[in-house]
Amino acid sequence: MKKLYSLVAYLVCGLVAVQAGTMVWAHSGMFQWVAAGGVLDKAAIESSDSLTFDGVQGFMIHGMNGMMVIPSVAVVLLVLSFFAKVPHGVAWAIGVAVLVALQVALGLLGHEFTISGLFHGVNALVLFTVALLAGLRARG
Amino acid sequence: MAEARLRWLLPLGLSLAVLVPLGVLWQRSLIPGSLSVLDMGVPDFGTGTVFGASAHDHHGEAGTSVTDLVDAPNRPADVTVDLRADAAQLEIAGRPVQGFTVNGTSPGPTIRAQQGQLVEVRFTNGSVPGGATLHWHGVDVPNAMDGVAGVTQDAVDVGHSFTYRFVASRAGTYWYHSHQVSHRQVIGGLLGALVVSPAGDATPSETGDVVAIAHTYAGFRTINGQAGDLRVAAAPGDRVRVRVVNTDNATLPLWADQPVTLAALDGSEVNRPTPLTGVMVGVAAGGRADLLVDVPAAGAARVQLSKSTAVIVGADGVEPPPPSQPSSWLDLLSYGSPLATTLDPTRPDRSFSYRMTQQPGFVRGRPGVWWAINGQLYPQLPMFMVRQGELVAVHFDNQTTETHPMHLHGHHLLVLARNHQPASGSPWWTDSLDVLPGENYDVVFWATNPGLWMDHCHNLDHAKDGMITHLAYEGVTTPFRLGGDHLNEPE
Repeated sequence: MKKLYSLVAYLVCGLVAVQAGTMVWAHSGMFQWVAAGGVLDKAAIESSDSLTFDGVQGFMIHGMNGMMVIPSVAVVLLVLSFFAKVPHGVAWAIGVAVLVALQVALGLLGHEFTISGLFHGVNALVLFTVALLAGLRARG
Repeated sequence: MAEARLRWLLPLGLSLAVLVPLGVLWQRSLIPGSLSVLDMGVPDFGTGTVFGASAHDHHGEAGTSVTDLVDAPNRPADVTVDLRADAAQLEIAGRPVQGFTVNGTSPGPTIRAQQGQLVEVRFTNGSVPGGATLHWHGVDVPNAMDGVAGVTQDAVDVGHSFTYRFVASRAGTYWYHSHQVSHRQVIGGLLGALVVSPAGDATPSETGDVVAIAHTYAGFRTINGQAGDLRVAAAPGDRVRVRVVNTDNATLPLWADQPVTLAALDGSEVNRPTPLTGVMVGVAAGGRADLLVDVPAAGAARVQLSKSTAVIVGADGVEPPPPSQPSSWLDLLSYGSPLATTLDPTRPDRSFSYRMTQQPGFVRGRPGVWWAINGQLYPQLPMFMVRQGELVAVHFDNQTTETHPMHLHGHHLLVLARNHQPASGSPWWTDSLDVLPGENYDVVFWATNPGLWMDHCHNLDHAKDGMITHLAYEGVTTPFRLGGDHLNEPE
């Protein structure tokens, strides 16, 4: 059970890395698309399903991974923590869950307050670190 | 022994405490494969009287069926049009884009009628997979002709037809689009314009009349399906009405290189409009703006539809440079002059709250942070219940981080106030109202068009994510179902 706890904690780390990667991947593709004549305005963003540039999937993956997959994995980690008997394992799992919730909130608030995006990036690193430490704890 | 049992029971109990509420929320969010819209949501009678036998209690066996709500069934049509929709590869700015056509083009043909004429459109689905419909955006059609798959009709399958008949009772600029899987079909171009000119056409000062449909295909802005500028031939001194239709999911900004007049909004004429300089006109998603453009002595006027496309009205070969983009927006709350109305909008029979927020939860089984109406997620949304003849007030309150263009089918909203500041200009009639983050609006409408009407966000991606409610008249039922054999999926 401890091993599983640790693996799921590392999975959170991996998924956070995916978040960082997909965002830059999508932005790279977007800037090249704009350079080639694509125009990004609100109407284009709001019909993002129909955008076709290389890397556009990055935005979709970032959204689904961040809003659905990572929160689900955080819940799994919390449930495992009740059984795994990792020292302070429940506290670490709660920490991960709280940081995930904060991360989703910061991401959405970034649509209204630019500064929120800054903290979204920083909090990603905090979340990564806490999940990593949780995983290492389980290793003893 | 007891200690060992506790060692298992405690984690198990904690796990259940986490998982059971999540499971219940997940289960509540699932939509059956076939569902009547009458069984969706929670009846909301607002501040008005609660009527006992609501449509919610009937299941098609009593009351008036939406299929009976038609215009003059025996009257011959004045305007007859055949429209055929197809899935097709479009060419936009020299690039192939998968989309849809109506009669071979996207946008489809502009339908023109005179006020009072009966329009009959025979719609055939040539090859749109999953079915298609036509919704008459902004036209107060009878409910059976509203074109909402699963609510007022079944999606028209490939090879089948549906005939839409309605009296074009109000002059103005409107548009038609599919209301089956609309977040894909509308974005893909299954749409066109409908122009209703006043009976007798009493606008002698206008020498030209042109439709400019703004649509973004795969990230490329177009006017009438063409990237770049739309040229309209006109001579100096001419006055041309440019009917801008915003078919996208986001607000379209308009501005010009000389004073232009906003003559009509969402098909309703503005009372005594004044020429505009140094401001942008924001056209909500789904909304229309008629601009009067006077061709200057210099030869041509330029109206920007966003930064990347423009309508150039004037002599061929004259290329006015793009004007710089103004930083402020026209405030429609104070534009034009007030007009005395015979109807008193201040004493509604019923008032509803339409509060938009974002909250974590499940929609269709998917976890996330979703749009909520009055604190509830799809499908537990309010069903706004009204009686025919009532004056109905709605308080839109956008507490989310994004703009929501609110579109009520089959009715026109009269804006009374924004953020509690009363409207002071021309009567502001709208069917597509942009409610910005942090804004609230007080609007009224007269419930004189019985039926089951969608009342939703016209950012179609938001609608797909559950920003869909309905207005239900007392006793109106529907035999159609969401899902089911026709895979009706109006969003």
